[in-house]
Amino acid sequence: MDFNLQADTPEIAAFRKEVSDWLDANMKEGEHIRLTGIWSTVHDDAEYLFRRRLAEKLGRKGWLFPTYAKEHGGGGLTTAHRNVLEVELDRRGLPLGNVFYTRAELVVPAVTMFGTDEQKREFLPPMMRGDVAVWQLLTEPHGGSDIATCRTRAIREGDDYVINGQKIMVGHHTKADWLMVLTNTAPEGKRHENLSWFYIPADLPGISYTHLNLMMGVKNAVYLDNVRVPAKYLVGGENNGWKVASAYLVLEQGGGGSLGESTLLRNVVARCEEVQPDGTRLIDDPDVRDQLADMMLDVDTERLWGMRNYWHYNEKTPHRYAGPQYFFFQRMVRLRNAERLQKMLGYDALVPEERYDELGDFEYNVRYGPGMMHGGGTLHTDRIIISRCLGLGRNVEGKRQAKG
Amino acid sequence: MDFRLTDDQRMLQDAARDFMKTEARSDQITIWYEQKTFHLPEIWEKAAGLGWLGMRLPEAYGGAGMGAFDCGVVFEELGRGPLPGAYFSSGVLAAEILLAGAPEALKQRLLPAIGDGSAIVVPALADPSNRFGAESVTTRLEKAGAGFVLEGSKRYVQDGGAATHFLVAARRDDGRIALACIARNAPGVSVCHQQGFLIGASEVRFERAAVDPADVFGDWNTVEDALTRALPILGAFITGALQEISEFTNAYTSERIVYGQPIGRYQRVQDNCIEILNHLDATRWITWETLWKLDTGQDARAAARQCKAVASEGYFQGCNQSHMVFAGPGTDYRHPLMAHSVLAHALYPYLGSPLHNKRAMMDIRFPRKV
Repeated sequence: MDFNLQADTPEIAAFRKEVSDWLDANMKEGEHIRLTGIWSTVHDDAEYLFRRRLAEKLGRKGWLFPTYAKEHGGGGLTTAHRNVLEVELDRRGLPLGNVFYTRAELVVPAVTMFGTDEQKREFLPPMMRGDVAVWQLLTEPHGGSDIATCRTRAIREGDDYVINGQKIMVGHHTKADWLMVLTNTAPEGKRHENLSWFYIPADLPGISYTHLNLMMGVKNAVYLDNVRVPAKYLVGGENNGWKVASAYLVLEQGGGGSLGESTLLRNVVARCEEVQPDGTRLIDDPDVRDQLADMMLDVDTERLWGMRNYWHYNEKTPHRYAGPQYFFFQRMVRLRNAERLQKMLGYDALVPEERYDELGDFEYNVRYGPGMMHGGGTLHTDRIIISRCLGLGRNVEGKRQAKG
Repeated sequence: MDFRLTDDQRMLQDAARDFMKTEARSDQITIWYEQKTFHLPEIWEKAAGLGWLGMRLPEAYGGAGMGAFDCGVVFEELGRGPLPGAYFSSGVLAAEILLAGAPEALKQRLLPAIGDGSAIVVPALADPSNRFGAESVTTRLEKAGAGFVLEGSKRYVQDGGAATHFLVAARRDDGRIALACIARNAPGVSVCHQQGFLIGASEVRFERAAVDPADVFGDWNTVEDALTRALPILGAFITGALQEISEFTNAYTSERIVYGQPIGRYQRVQDNCIEILNHLDATRWITWETLWKLDTGQDARAAARQCKAVASEGYFQGCNQSHMVFAGPGTDYRHPLMAHSVLAHALYPYLGSPLHNKRAMMDIRFPRKV
């Protein structure tokens, strides 16, 4: 049993130094920039461009997808190298999977698993090099978490498919370069066996975008109006889209874990240790201490489960329910922390502070807690998935008895 | 980062599982808890024979000098029972208190005896029923001639009924706390079993009970040091208990048919199972990390208190969630849940409630400026 994230072999220690020095040098120009959360609230192009440029530089070194094959733009490195990149970027406020707003971390595994050799050669390198921003078009207005009820139609016409439909809860305040789209290719077909998954350029004629101003930030509604898509953009074959999506939804729903530490907790503690105008410190207030203690317990559980999932995922030792459990708990903790912030800080929890990056900002977390309970499926969906993983109420004997 | 058990740990786990299967079957445990049987001499001796009472003791004192995580692996299996007895209070906590501060002669006398099971040394620390910590110590250690006498009453001494010796926290004439080791059969010591929705608790009275000055040592810090090393082992025991509760509750949701389908199809019931699972894994992972900290010589003071807070709260809430699933049948003392339910309540205030331990964690991490 070993919980150490920095028990480096000499080779890895040298790599950590290389990464650390490189990041210090290459993030210098962004020192004054306030990093935004995954759901950007602020329409800050300077920040976005800085992060995109950083991602391009990381991508050139193969450090965005460190464990993937070099021939497709990966780093050809080991999990231990990946751990270093994950931890060192997190320390500087950025997640490895989302240095700038892109969902490439979901598409790369899907294309790797289901793409043809030609598709891999064409699609993977730009994503791994950080050259393109990819958005996920999954949720539809009528379906919410039930993504298999997909109504966006893709109809085959000669060498093309023609896509019509609408997706919501997509992307970011800027523009995407590529889109992954889940479509329905057989409306009369069996559920889960009637979907197809496309990876398409974001600027095809017939695609339009409208901002949605949401509690947690900016997302888009995307309209697909007779969008003509060459068949080469279909990944995994017709009516096989559910399998393709399932391959990466495990990742989106917590299965990949995390090695990050909570910047929110760090900032709250620092804030509570500051001497206030009346000479007192919040951290000496017994009520604040009790709130902070509960927050620490929750955040620590989340941290430990993140490590657990990360380890299982990278060791390829599957864990029955770890993904949805972590995903559910994470969002419950965010919600509880949002409440605790208000209890500890009062009005100060409702006003953004420029000195904190968005992920660690109190106001952002107060909104993000109740606002972000649905991304990747609602809390209720999480629990349905956990229950299935546990096999609750699903043994054969029980079913037989039920039928009488 | 590596979350695998070693081969040796897996062997220990198997041995403890086999032991529980043959010596402490679930239906037998149910009866022990129904009858509030808190000490089973035959099983105690067998466990001692396997070396489980002195796992962490140095070899110089007849122990196995094992790591904290190894010890936790065994306690997790005992907790699945949950096996009643002073395995933790004597074999772990008392041993750690003695190791942390007892004079060498006392260590030589008691530690090997703890390890071979011939002495059952039980800490009697707090006086009032609802508080823990230095301020909770009111029993007096008064100077009397060349020695001391103990005067006072400790209630809710866990496993007190099985004790051959007590380690008593008491106040000297100058108000400082010391620990006094006294034999159960010493004149002036009386033990009264306490009945109620708990198990193994006794009131231990000291009426001018004479203590040899050579058996007086340490202060409250000695207790705190020992708690740092002991609480994570209790966390492992509760991890096992929660694992068991989670498994039998989940299994039941597929067997029990209500309104024409297995109750596990109802999302309300699923929520109960998920709550148990979350308490289980919260307890398991903070316990594992804290045991690892102990084994690697890191500061585990705050983590150990955090571990007790998470474990005790989880055990208590986990039982309640399981009660929601089992409903009426789960309230029968012959139901496996009842053993856990009784113990979860008894362990809630033991060595400080979750609230006490959370505050202790905060005081260690962020000392208060008064």
